[in-house]
Amino acid sequence: MSITFAATPRSVPATPPRTRGRRGRAARRTLTGWGFAAPATLIVVGLSIFPAVWAFFISRTKWNGIAPAVDVGWRNYQRIAEDPDAVAAAQHTLVLTLIFVPASILLGMLIAVALNQRIRLIGFYRTCIFVPYVASAAATGILASFVFNPQFGAANEVLRRLGIPTQQFLESPKEALFVIVLIALWGEIGFTAVVYLAALQDIPQELVEAAVVDGASRLRVFLHITLPELRPVTVFTAIWQTITAMQLFDLIFTTTRGGPLNSTQTVVYYIYELAFQTQRLGYGAAVAYLLFAVTMLLTVGVIWYSRRTGSEAF
Amino acid sequence: MTISRRHLTVGAAAAAVLLLGACTGGSSDDGGKDAAAGYDPSAAVTINWWTGQTSEAETVAEKLGNEYHALHPNVTVKTSPGAPTTDDLLTKLSAGFAGGSYPDISYAFGSWAGDLGASGKTQDLTSYVADPSFGWNEMPAAARAVATPADKVIGVPALVDNLALIYNKKLFDAAGLDYPTDSWSWDDFRAAAKKLTNTATNTYGTAYSVSGSEDTTWHLWPLLWQHGGKILDGTKPAFNSDAGVAALETLRAMAVDDKSMYLDQTDEKYGPLFNSGHVGMMLSGPWSLLDLKGAKLSYGVVNLPGFNGDHQTVSGPDLWVLFNHDDVNRAGASRDFIKWLTSAQTDAKWNLAVGNLPLRSTEKDTPEFAAYVKEYPGGDKFFANLANAKQARPTLPGYEEMSRNVGDAIAKVLQGAATPKQALDDAAKKSADALEN
Repeated sequence: MSITFAATPRSVPATPPRTRGRRGRAARRTLTGWGFAAPATLIVVGLSIFPAVWAFFISRTKWNGIAPAVDVGWRNYQRIAEDPDAVAAAQHTLVLTLIFVPASILLGMLIAVALNQRIRLIGFYRTCIFVPYVASAAATGILASFVFNPQFGAANEVLRRLGIPTQQFLESPKEALFVIVLIALWGEIGFTAVVYLAALQDIPQELVEAAVVDGASRLRVFLHITLPELRPVTVFTAIWQTITAMQLFDLIFTTTRGGPLNSTQTVVYYIYELAFQTQRLGYGAAVAYLLFAVTMLLTVGVIWYSRRTGSEAF
Repeated sequence: MTISRRHLTVGAAAAAVLLLGACTGGSSDDGGKDAAAGYDPSAAVTINWWTGQTSEAETVAEKLGNEYHALHPNVTVKTSPGAPTTDDLLTKLSAGFAGGSYPDISYAFGSWAGDLGASGKTQDLTSYVADPSFGWNEMPAAARAVATPADKVIGVPALVDNLALIYNKKLFDAAGLDYPTDSWSWDDFRAAAKKLTNTATNTYGTAYSVSGSEDTTWHLWPLLWQHGGKILDGTKPAFNSDAGVAALETLRAMAVDDKSMYLDQTDEKYGPLFNSGHVGMMLSGPWSLLDLKGAKLSYGVVNLPGFNGDHQTVSGPDLWVLFNHDDVNRAGASRDFIKWLTSAQTDAKWNLAVGNLPLRSTEKDTPEFAAYVKEYPGGDKFFANLANAKQARPTLPGYEEMSRNVGDAIAKVLQGAATPKQALDDAAKKSADALEN
């Protein structure tokens, strides 16, 4: 994964228009180009595009993977709107995203600013913040289900010591989703923090110095220099974290499996349950396509907005 | 350049569409011809056997496969687990159907029978098992029914089990209560559960899974049947009848009013909790005996509690499903292999050896059964309880989805979020569409 940020507009080195070689050379260059691109293209087409297109055809059938598929046209898509479970799953995903994305951006920025100080052992602190992100979400989930176990977990032990009533956490339909957000934040904060840290260090020192010379306080430097410089990165983290939140699966699978009472059943988990637990591949594919469309629209929307306002994250 | 690229894209898309059409299609006709008609028992064949087993049981299976090859040198049995877990077998089978590389024989959960039967890839064994030499009627009726979706025998029972009441003797002694008996009513059960419950020691009278899976659902069916209810009426849900509501109310009273029921959000906690002495009684099957033995718990097994003297239980048989490869010799050889594997003689070396109940009533007098009962106390009770499994779980396609809806309904009711009537009506309404087409 390589990500480049263009925080400050840089001058593009002017390339003089090349004089065209002979046709044979051009053709060979094209062939060479395709020679490099072909293996990757084949993999992308074969493993991503083809299944995606196939899934679309499945989404227009009623199919359990075993008996022959029956064509049902758009009925699967019509059913989504009338399916209370799908609507509930969408609500859970929305709540999760609305809490997770802003929280991970704010906390990530805060931690990045803290980690940008010149203090002793800073490398150690930075590593500590990043470690949970490196751990797999499945491991995080299993670990967290120990911590939040209502009877024997560490979280309730702390509450007990503090004299606060103990909670059911992942076993309460009201709390489970928020506990999931908390665990997800713990795992994902490292990512936003590191991205912001890199962006902070990319801010030209001259800008900050100039502002300080002009008599700006540290707060004003942060508000008027740092924040605007971080905007392209924020567009990126917003999109990235939104996609992460909307596709959160392994954490839910290892902690609650969508329960209790389906209160942590997100759209992705619902798709899994439809397609692979109850073998409703057609309907599952339809819900997956709807999720794809929504994610796509959101991403395009944010990119369009950011382009219009002049920052280039992508 | 641009034009040719566009042509390429259109061409690729067209090719993809054609291919996709071929992938989801699939045929379903077996032409009414017997898959093994004209089978030559001496032809050299290789049959693929997916056991769905892991570790020890898989080793035993491989040994049996080799043993069969020694007896019939012209038949090579290629034994493999088929998938990492038994649950994954269905996915593997569906991928195999799409790619044309499915086995001759595969292990299958009983709940898959309807879907597999509708695949058009299975053999029709109806006349084969009708032969008196097969001894079809020695297997429990509920298991035979599961192997016969849509009036067509697609496989042979591979494993039989049932639910009974397992209780912890120590907890009953400590509470000064009499042990449960075969003639207990649900009122007796509820009263005992209430007395066994002790919040100070985190002890519950009984436990129930509220994960909403089949484990949640099938524990309700015996209660429904005891009240005279039915799961389905044809292809219409019928579990939301008065009988269903009364059955679920029995459980609700314990979970919500008495709080004597530990509600397990997964399917995996109540077993270990029972083994560690935190649950007094659980409704479970013979598969629990292995863990109970490991926990060195003093326990007893009796019939499920009954309603009006009806103590019927539910059975969750698994199957060996036989597939058709349009090769009479392979079809015939797999039939003969399965007949041998499920014969009283071989089954004693298979099911009893790995800790399961025997498939056939005739195995009761074998030395292997005596050894099994000695090793797993209560095993004989589970075997006798097979006679109480009078009705079979439905096998029609769509059962899985209906089971999920009923599981959710039970979970809601037991957690006090809905009344039995309302929850079951909702589940029936949601399931109607899945069952009918």
